[in-house]
Amino acid sequence: MRTLKLNEDSSKLAKEVIGDLKASPSLELFKCIQCGMCTSLCPGARYSDYNPREMVKRVLDGDESVIYDDDIWNCFYCYTCNSVCPANNSASVVNQILRQKAINEGKQTDRLSAFLTYGDSFLEIGIGSIPAAFFDVLVKDFGPEWLDLKMNLDDVRKELGLGPVTLPEDSVEEINEILKITGFTRKMEKIRGSP
Amino acid sequence: MKKIPDKDILLFKSCLVSVEYPGVESSTAFLFDKLGVGYHRDQRQSCCTGLGHYYDLFDQLSTTALAARNFWVARDSGNPNIAVMCATCYAILKKSAEILNKNDEAREKINGLLEEGGLGKMVYHKGDIDPHKNIFHAAEILYNKKDLLKDSPHLDFSQFNIATHHACHYCKVHYEDTIGGVRHPMLLDELAASCGAETVGWYDQKRLTCGAGFRQRFTNNDLSLQVTAEKLLSLKENQTDIMLHMCPNCQMQYDRYQPVIEKKQNVKFNIFHLNIAQFLALNMGADPYRVLGIQTHTVPVEPLLKKLGIEPVKTPVENGKIKMDH
Repeated sequence: MRTLKLNEDSSKLAKEVIGDLKASPSLELFKCIQCGMCTSLCPGARYSDYNPREMVKRVLDGDESVIYDDDIWNCFYCYTCNSVCPANNSASVVNQILRQKAINEGKQTDRLSAFLTYGDSFLEIGIGSIPAAFFDVLVKDFGPEWLDLKMNLDDVRKELGLGPVTLPEDSVEEINEILKITGFTRKMEKIRGSP
Repeated sequence: MKKIPDKDILLFKSCLVSVEYPGVESSTAFLFDKLGVGYHRDQRQSCCTGLGHYYDLFDQLSTTALAARNFWVARDSGNPNIAVMCATCYAILKKSAEILNKNDEAREKINGLLEEGGLGKMVYHKGDIDPHKNIFHAAEILYNKKDLLKDSPHLDFSQFNIATHHACHYCKVHYEDTIGGVRHPMLLDELAASCGAETVGWYDQKRLTCGAGFRQRFTNNDLSLQVTAEKLLSLKENQTDIMLHMCPNCQMQYDRYQPVIEKKQNVKFNIFHLNIAQFLALNMGADPYRVLGIQTHTVPVEPLLKKLGIEPVKTPVENGKIKMDH
């Protein structure tokens, strides 16, 4: 007689997902009924091969290859799935956790390269900035008026009765300290150093 | 309905409002002043990390630790209520407050790190900030005062079709807290109606995301603009003239990319984009350049003003009129 061998570790990945800091205690991953509401309203699914229902199924099946799947990078993080799920699961949150897992393993880090300057700006002035890698494309798309705004921002803000956007020096130091002790600064260096 | 504060409010600065649509901040301040809302802006406040968080660059621990610092800034300034102008700040701060209140292990870890970094003054005590009672979108603060908006002088918007876009990170992340509906959000519609401007209410794709998708706008631009175009086409079917916003990222996606999509798809949308605070401030007589800040918009707002009978006048900047509380 053939016996079906159950993989004892099949819930390992799902348990890791619900144990993540990002997962709230109300995230009901195990209650997913595969109804597909998430996929039916997902903008990523409408225009690409991303399928949140299938992603959740693979997590529940313990299929670790889902962590490295390129299609999960097409999620918009719009949380539409989160707001309609009848089981109180959240494909959007699961997706974010999977991407972080890949990054923590040193995979998919090339997808972060272009965004590192946002982190640099945060460390430098305590405020994120539009990633420099895309600046020229934005100028091309948005036109010279947008570049003028960037060049003359302080004057525009003055006209509106607003001060400069910058933080005091000691605040920036505090932010740097926090990002150092949480490991963010090291993570930035690691990503920058990886091929 | 839950109690919405009208004083001791930290008006939480947003990176995208600051550099893309600073008029949203001056319009919000204009309205708060007119409506008697007690608020404070604090130079020490940092960015919420939101964009970096959803670019997948910031992890939850770093985001939450920085939120603990901003919560300390709020309390230290005597303003434990927080009003945000950006939907991403809204979702990020609520989530961080939830973690700090409910996840003892995470709170203790973050507090330990703060102590270790010599920042013991910022240690977070359980319940310091209640995500449901202390963190609001500025539009909710205005909603609480909408009876006062009724009494203000009105512009006549009856010749326009007005549609609203309720930001996803306001409606769909912490949906149990959302005021005015999630599946058919009406917060902005009701705010507009309170000063006599009727909106179209429901339209096909009302719930659809703006398409920015954080990294998608940059790394997957075609995918991103397909979604934006879908909503704009739906609005065109409804002959929409004005679209009201509550998030600078959504506003950027529609206002900055509308001409790009028009060129790509060989179609004209002719939709004006205003944040709800800009719209309400305009209705209360605020100056288009000195309060609304329409000079930072990509789709010119001047033709709309002309139709309303307003001749906007650009005047040279006066020096020395800078307002910063801290």
